[in-house]
Amino acid sequence: MTDALLSVRGLTKRFGGLVAVDGLDFDLFPGEILGVIGPNGAGKTTTFNVIAGRIEATAGAISLAGEAILGLPPHAIAARGLMRTFQHNMPFAGMSVLDNVLVGAHTRMQAPLWQLIGAVAGARAEERKARAEAERMLDFVGLAGLAATAVTSLSFGQGRLLEIARALAGQPRVILFDEPAAGLTPVEMGRLAEIIRGISGRGISVLLIEHDMKFLLPLAERVVVLNFGRKIADGVPGAITRDPAVIEAYLGEAGGAVPKGARC
Amino acid sequence: MSAPARSSATLLAWAAGAAALVAIAFMVDGYTADLYRKLLLITSLALAFNFLFGVAGQVAFSQVAFYGVGAYSITILWAVYHWPFPLALIATVVVCTLVALAVAIPTNRLEGFYLALATLAFAQFFVVLLLQGGSFTGGPDGLSGFKSPEIFGLKLAGRNYIFVLIALFLATLAVLRNLDNSYFGRACRAIRDNPEAAAAMGVNVARTRIIVFTLTSTLSALAGVCYAFADNYVNPNVFNLNDMFILFFMVIIGGSGRHAGAIIGATVLFLLPEVLGDVIGRRHLLIYGLFVVLAILFWPQGLVGVFDAMRARLLPRRAGG
Repeated sequence: MTDALLSVRGLTKRFGGLVAVDGLDFDLFPGEILGVIGPNGAGKTTTFNVIAGRIEATAGAISLAGEAILGLPPHAIAARGLMRTFQHNMPFAGMSVLDNVLVGAHTRMQAPLWQLIGAVAGARAEERKARAEAERMLDFVGLAGLAATAVTSLSFGQGRLLEIARALAGQPRVILFDEPAAGLTPVEMGRLAEIIRGISGRGISVLLIEHDMKFLLPLAERVVVLNFGRKIADGVPGAITRDPAVIEAYLGEAGGAVPKGARC
Repeated sequence: MSAPARSSATLLAWAAGAAALVAIAFMVDGYTADLYRKLLLITSLALAFNFLFGVAGQVAFSQVAFYGVGAYSITILWAVYHWPFPLALIATVVVCTLVALAVAIPTNRLEGFYLALATLAFAQFFVVLLLQGGSFTGGPDGLSGFKSPEIFGLKLAGRNYIFVLIALFLATLAVLRNLDNSYFGRACRAIRDNPEAAAAMGVNVARTRIIVFTLTSTLSALAGVCYAFADNYVNPNVFNLNDMFILFFMVIIGGSGRHAGAIIGATVLFLLPEVLGDVIGRRHLLIYGLFVVLAILFWPQGLVGVFDAMRARLLPRRAGG
């Protein structure tokens, strides 16, 4: 097996007396789609926020491509190739669709400030290249033709796709999706699954929190199940749904498989 | 439009704008020349403030104070200590940058109301410093009667000085426009709209905030340097909070976040008391206040937004546009 791209070891987060994440270990391999599931309060979002640098961990270690990233600020983690989408869309409301995507490319822009002030040829060429790439990202997620539109006039589903294009513009090694299917129509969900497969096909690793099992199970190559901040299962989707610990966590008692399409 | 065609069109627009500004310089005289000089100064200041407030979203009350830091620094170094002008100018820029950094670094985590309070405190502190500065600042009377600098034997006064102010205005506009059209400008707008998402996209929020505050404050200080030789007179009244509120009005009424908005807002509000002087006397602040309320209620994009809407209605839609 190849080396893990993102590796989480002994991750613990306490909020006062509450242990939100408790000694969590898992690996994400290059190009893999890894789902993270668990009942409400299992610590999924906390885990995500710690990985992305939004909140500090109490203990543990996280490495990205062999480099320790725990404790770095969010912008430094993004610069090392880890981008994310938000559970509630977080667009830059005063900007166009294309400019939103271009913010995602921020860490790849090299021209120093004085070159920007002077609008020298090198800086302008870099800007043109970034624009062309951002247009391609919009194309990839299916928002082609909306580049100049104000972001406030997008539908909710289009806003979700914009979040993905924005994260992709950073040419990340890993993308964290925080409940990407929440609030989408079944048609939009199908399109989203295709896009996520396409991202993984480009060699980008995908870490996915999702409540909707019907969406997640066919998509994820491997699933980590959390309950009360601990990992209770880690395996292929088929094995996870038959795991007694998982069934107990979801249904409160052993017996019977997780019903297909159950929202957990 | 292809990239080379667009850049030559841009160049043409700049040349036409510069020619128009120079032409006005030859049409004004006496009182109108003084008005024109002040208009170029206040418009440069409004452009810098628009970038800080409208583009980067920092509600800062320190812009006029930095205008004063620039004006007083150059006056003290050049007119009181008789430093050679180039050296005095460089030292002024360094001093203003350091003062701006000293304000920006401790306040960079503050947002909205709290940043407003901190910068308000700095602005008030600066005015008190001017009033209590004794012979160093001239106290309430300020410093006056000093001579203008010369370059290559050319005295920078009268019409010559208008050309300096046109250069200041165009340079301020060029610097801010170029920045606005780059990743730096986008990062500033992203922080204004959603600092958390900006950080997740790799924008160093603290660093960007400090840079934009320091840069726009130093640009204001450069306008202040130019102000010092417009009247060869600096005094604390010019740099008080009254003018800071007018600067806010100019940017909001003109159209916050847009360079054209800052220029239109500054021009309209600066010339309004002159035009309406006979009707409203010196009660123009009352009219400004009314304008701000109207702008917030009916023209959230300011006068520039109103012009955009009119143009869209009057002009037939361009093919492919």
